[in-house]
Amino acid sequence: MQASRARLFKEYKEVQREKVADPDIQLVCDDSNIFKWTALIKGPSETPYDGGVFQLAFSVPEQYPLQPPQVRFLTKIFHPNVHFKTGEICLDILKNAWSPAWTLQSVCRAIIALMAHPEPDSPLNCDSGNLLRSGDIRGYQSMARMYTRLAAMPKKG
Amino acid sequence: MESEDEMAATMMEDSEDEEFYGGGGGDGDDDSDPDDVVMDYDGFMDHDSDDSDDLSSSHSRSYHHRSQNYTILSEDDIRQHQEESITKISAVLSISRVAAAILLRHYNWSVSKVNDEWFADEDKVRKTVGLLENHTPVPDAKELTCGICFETYPLDRMSAADCGHPFCVICWQGYISTAVNDGPGCLMLRCPDPSCGAAVGQDMVNRLASKDDKEKYNRYFLRSFIEDNRKTKWCPAPGCDYAVDFIVGSGNYDVTCRCAHSFCWNCVEEAHRPVDCGTVSKWIMKNSAESENMNWILANSKPCPKCKRPIEKNQGCMHITCTPPCKFEFCWLCLGAWSEHGERTGGFYACNRYEAAKQEGVFDEAEKRREMAKNSLERYTHYYERWATNQSVDLFIWVSFVMAMLGLFWHIGPNMAELEKLSDKQCQPESQLKFIVEAWLQAVYPITCLSKLAGDMSMLDLLLQSKRPKAMVTKMNLSFLFLQIVECRRVLKWTYAYGFYLPEHEHAKKQFFEYLQGEAESGLERLHQCAEKEFQVYLNAEGPSKEFNEFRTKLAGLTSVTKNYFENLVRALENGLSDVDSHACGKAGSSKNLGGGSGKGRGGKGKGTTSRSSSSRNIDDSGHWSCEYCTYANVRSATVCEMCQQRRRTSQLVLVEVLTNEGIT
Repeated sequence: MQASRARLFKEYKEVQREKVADPDIQLVCDDSNIFKWTALIKGPSETPYDGGVFQLAFSVPEQYPLQPPQVRFLTKIFHPNVHFKTGEICLDILKNAWSPAWTLQSVCRAIIALMAHPEPDSPLNCDSGNLLRSGDIRGYQSMARMYTRLAAMPKKG
Repeated sequence: MESEDEMAATMMEDSEDEEFYGGGGGDGDDDSDPDDVVMDYDGFMDHDSDDSDDLSSSHSRSYHHRSQNYTILSEDDIRQHQEESITKISAVLSISRVAAAILLRHYNWSVSKVNDEWFADEDKVRKTVGLLENHTPVPDAKELTCGICFETYPLDRMSAADCGHPFCVICWQGYISTAVNDGPGCLMLRCPDPSCGAAVGQDMVNRLASKDDKEKYNRYFLRSFIEDNRKTKWCPAPGCDYAVDFIVGSGNYDVTCRCAHSFCWNCVEEAHRPVDCGTVSKWIMKNSAESENMNWILANSKPCPKCKRPIEKNQGCMHITCTPPCKFEFCWLCLGAWSEHGERTGGFYACNRYEAAKQEGVFDEAEKRREMAKNSLERYTHYYERWATNQSVDLFIWVSFVMAMLGLFWHIGPNMAELEKLSDKQCQPESQLKFIVEAWLQAVYPITCLSKLAGDMSMLDLLLQSKRPKAMVTKMNLSFLFLQIVECRRVLKWTYAYGFYLPEHEHAKKQFFEYLQGEAESGLERLHQCAEKEFQVYLNAEGPSKEFNEFRTKLAGLTSVTKNYFENLVRALENGLSDVDSHACGKAGSSKNLGGGSGKGRGGKGKGTTSRSSSSRNIDDSGHWSCEYCTYANVRSATVCEMCQQRRRTSQLVLVEVLTNEGIT
């Protein structure tokens, strides 16, 4: 408990310092609870998520960093490894490949990398995975872009 | 093959006899090894005459021809084997013992595999296992930042694997603890740095982990030697710490652990001859399918296709990776290996292999079975009840036996003076009375098992406090009668599972089977009655009794007859009752008459016994046969019982023998 708090506090300070350094990630800690974080990440360029801003919710367990944080998308996203309804993310480092040397910041980076390089072979979103595996890149991209526009961009007008 | 076995068995027996009596006598150490006891099912029957022929051990002559194709390993043995393997690898590859252990664990403790792989491509092996060639020291600085808690610490509070990535001692402890509590995967621990795969070995764990975690880790380490090895398995009995090293491919899977638990090495269920493993698992599944628990497991989990542990999928995608040490990757839908899930299987999430299989009806089987079970519930209940009854009798026998022995124990007391008094009472030479005393000495053994089961050692302590003259311990009698009964019960029990799965349409077989089973049941019942009820009488008897000797003879005869009958039953059932096929139903029918009648069958019997006695030491080693009616042990040549004048009856076992023999020739 104490260890996780101390570590999160360190991360918090680090985030304050690095804010400018990594403009793609904006990590915010809940005002009243250091175990709840949210992040805003920018969709990587040259992907259908470009231009979108996606919100992630972190729930950090007490055993952190020995146990991984739970992360899910709050913003709707069309991606093979993200559950379309719940926002659950299927990413190895959030499950069995977790290492205590990872930070919330590096998790965000990993998620951005996942957005740029989807893993259609073990999909959580079947439709999206099937489009990619059948080679219908255009289909996948237009769907993903449509949802980015609908959910991850400020509404015009 | 049979005769060779027999020869070996006999020779073994002889030599062991000599050992017993040569080393023998009444003195010597007190710690008689109960291990010797386990195998000896038939010491009892040789007891008509005096000491000289009381064969106390005949390892290979229990139910089946058992050439010892397995070794029981105690924890110390295991540790020793493990150490030996590590020493070997460490010497041959000139690497540290810790590194050798990591290598061996990775290659399932196969020394030759490690050697092969290492000398084929050392770099590759080092990479996959995480063994670095050079030790990188921790950066030389006054203070370092821990990569986990981000605190800075002086150098002496930091630690690193061979890779030199420094983490503070507290974080290491937490890291190791998390891994250890996650299961045996902790044996493959790597450096916490995500970019580094350096192995973390036992030395670091011992240095850094808490006492509890260290113990757990070392426990996993020991277990791994048994569990990751294809040739070894733990004895599945509750509380038993022995493992069994089995020579794979040596036939008969029945194994008896030092704790007296008999089990099938292949499927780790209790010993279940004459039924095969597949039937047993079907049967057990069927029995437990009724329970809520199993329903839940069936509905919510699937067994890992490789290691068969049930897996519940509660999140994530269909790409499942079983937990270590299995780590099999498979598709949740079709349970096929994930490696086969590429473009050519359709490349779709809705795994078409599953769809195809469903169309072929492969996956309907479980459903169908449930359906069928409902339809034949009555039939099933019939078999199940009988099976379960024999199951519970198992424990009951133990309890009643132990109770009887305990009673005897209090009667006689542990000291020899009392014993002599009793020997006066019965007007028998002391050696004869040993017959009883040994029995309660042997009772120590079942009590060990029982109290282990019950988790209560007080009863055992009580018994162990008494002094046990060794001479008596070496002779085993009565307890084997009980072991015999237990074993017969077990066979009988499994014949019900056999019966359930016997195809409904094979009428001749079914009839024959039920007939054999019935005979077996009544034979065993007779023995059980004799042993349990009549024995009590002599326990409390006052004064000399001639009947006591007769009782013993009778018991001996009955035991051997029953034992033989069951041996043949097992053989017949394992052959799938093939005699019925080859010799048509007429044979079975006519033999039935033989069995039921009296005189007519003698021709058949004569043939049966003579042809068998050469190959398998049947009925009675001393050449006696036991009268069907009064159980008097007659000499072989007699055709009419000396005691009750009844004609020697063709016992059913002979009938089976005739059939079996004819089937063979």
